Amino acid sequence: MPGHGDIPGWLAKPQSFEPIHDRSAFATRSALSVTAVLRQLRLDDGRPSRFSASAPVKLALALGAIILNSLATNLMVTLVLLAFVLVRAALLPRRALARFAAVAASAAMLAALLALPAALIGQSASAIRLGLKALVSTGLAMEVALTTPAAELTGGLRAFRVPNLAITTIDLALKNIVLLGDCALETLTALTLRSVGRDADKSASLGGVAGTLLVRASRAAADTYDAMRCRGFEGDYDREAQVRLGADDAVWIAAFALFATMFLHLEDII
Amino acid sequence: MHIPENYLSPSTCAVFDVAMIPLWGYAVKKVRETVPREKMPLVGIAAAFCFLSMMFNIPLPGGTTGHAVCGTLIAILFGPWTACLAVSIALIIQAVFFGDGGILAIGANCFNMAFALPMAGYAVYRVISSRIEGRTGELVGAGVGSYLGLNVAALLTAIEFGIQPMLFTDAAGAALYCPYPLSVAVPAMMLGHLTVAGLAEVVFTVGILAFLRSAVPSFGIEAPSSGEKIAPAVALVAALVIASPLGLLATGDAWGEWGLEDLAEMVGFEPAGLATGWEWSSFMPDYSVGALPEAAGYIVSAIIGVALLVIIFRLAAGTLKPAVDFD
Repeated sequence: MPGHGDIPGWLAKPQSFEPIHDRSAFATRSALSVTAVLRQLRLDDGRPSRFSASAPVKLALALGAIILNSLATNLMVTLVLLAFVLVRAALLPRRALARFAAVAASAAMLAALLALPAALIGQSASAIRLGLKALVSTGLAMEVALTTPAAELTGGLRAFRVPNLAITTIDLALKNIVLLGDCALETLTALTLRSVGRDADKSASLGGVAGTLLVRASRAAADTYDAMRCRGFEGDYDREAQVRLGADDAVWIAAFALFATMFLHLEDII
Repeated sequence: MHIPENYLSPSTCAVFDVAMIPLWGYAVKKVRETVPREKMPLVGIAAAFCFLSMMFNIPLPGGTTGHAVCGTLIAILFGPWTACLAVSIALIIQAVFFGDGGILAIGANCFNMAFALPMAGYAVYRVISSRIEGRTGELVGAGVGSYLGLNVAALLTAIEFGIQPMLFTDAAGAALYCPYPLSVAVPAMMLGHLTVAGLAEVVFTVGILAFLRSAVPSFGIEAPSSGEKIAPAVALVAALVIASPLGLLATGDAWGEWGLEDLAEMVGFEPAGLATGWEWSSFMPDYSVGALPEAAGYIVSAIIGVALLVIIFRLAAGTLKPAVDFD
């Protein structure tokens, strides 16, 4: 056994190893964007408030309000809707409110940015109008999503004669999307850890990552569907389709009718 | 008391805008240190009281109008620096959305109504409430403090108006911006504020404070959160929103807030800086919503303003540390 003085020469030689900078932007950026999407989706279990309308009524009224907002040439229609959207948003739970603000403000800013050329030639009112309309429409859609449980939302689609197959697909997609996001993150982390040294063409792994995800997605969907069948699901959403209007629904429908009348009056139709 | 666009020279506006930046920075720091996270939504409601009180125009002697601000009220409830931030945000919303006060003059308006008013009002409140014990001392302090705070803000506004013709004139000696000198601006502003507007500030401040102390005792920075319902405070905001069209009963403009044509008619010429200056076109000017009846437009404007304030302060709560330190 060698003593302290018998350290082999190669071991005593000082070494300074600095790994060369790896091109891992593809993997890290993809991981970041997947994480960002997941953070949004994990909050998707909307909670109805005490005076919420039923899901089908809520969907129909929100769709109607978005259409009227888009058709309106009079800014007052948008401003009245803006007042409603802001009040409803102010009453959302804090995390839901943060999500509402992020999405609606981004949509409004994007719309205003698209209309920036109009502002540069002196039509700044058009840019503001477009931004406001985007804020109101996105805000309405967000509020429906944030105040309605995902299962009720897909069930509510049945009231609009959406085919069962489409609803099942949306249902399965919603249930699996978070799990698949986790899978994508794991695969990207594995890719980063395994590629030692410089790999100039890491983005070539895109096919591998996507393929793995596709296989796992189809397996997960099949497993979930089988589990649903085992628990008695026959691909039929008819039970949810029976719309029973309550007192809250009647109040919301009356309020919408009032708003629609105001729209027709302001647009000089009546 | 909202200084409109172009009544102050751009250089005067720039001085106040720059002066407000460190004050806003310090206010943010103090709010982060002193206001617990769970109290921030209440600051939003207090800011809503301030926003709404400014919508209630009151006829003043001399044919002009004035309004309360409630800056001292927020200072008493949540501290003067929180009041500075809350009133500033209310003023910015008013300028951007409703054209009430100029965009360039935001620094000056915030200095007068969001900084000087709550600081002066709160200082007087502290002196009085420390000498007279109990609820009486608090309410007397709030009344005297709010009255003096509003008048300090009005005096500063009058001075800012009044120095314009001294500093900025054209070659012929005609005023470029606000044409009224100190000898006119100070008495004109102070007459209305020392009498009716000051009284309105006292009524709003003491009335709301007394209501909150009895209906929602935890509404404030000093009272611990007891998980009690804040429904009475929300109901008061809703009542003020519905009653806001009462502010339309007072006809006429506030002193120093005339349109260019009205001003030209009064002084006999159009000040050049006012006529050619930049102006922001808000989409709800004067709290009106186009063809909607004035009262309905006023209510819609009040709802939008209040909701925006509550949303801003609830989102701000997310940036504060939770009361429980997990480290």
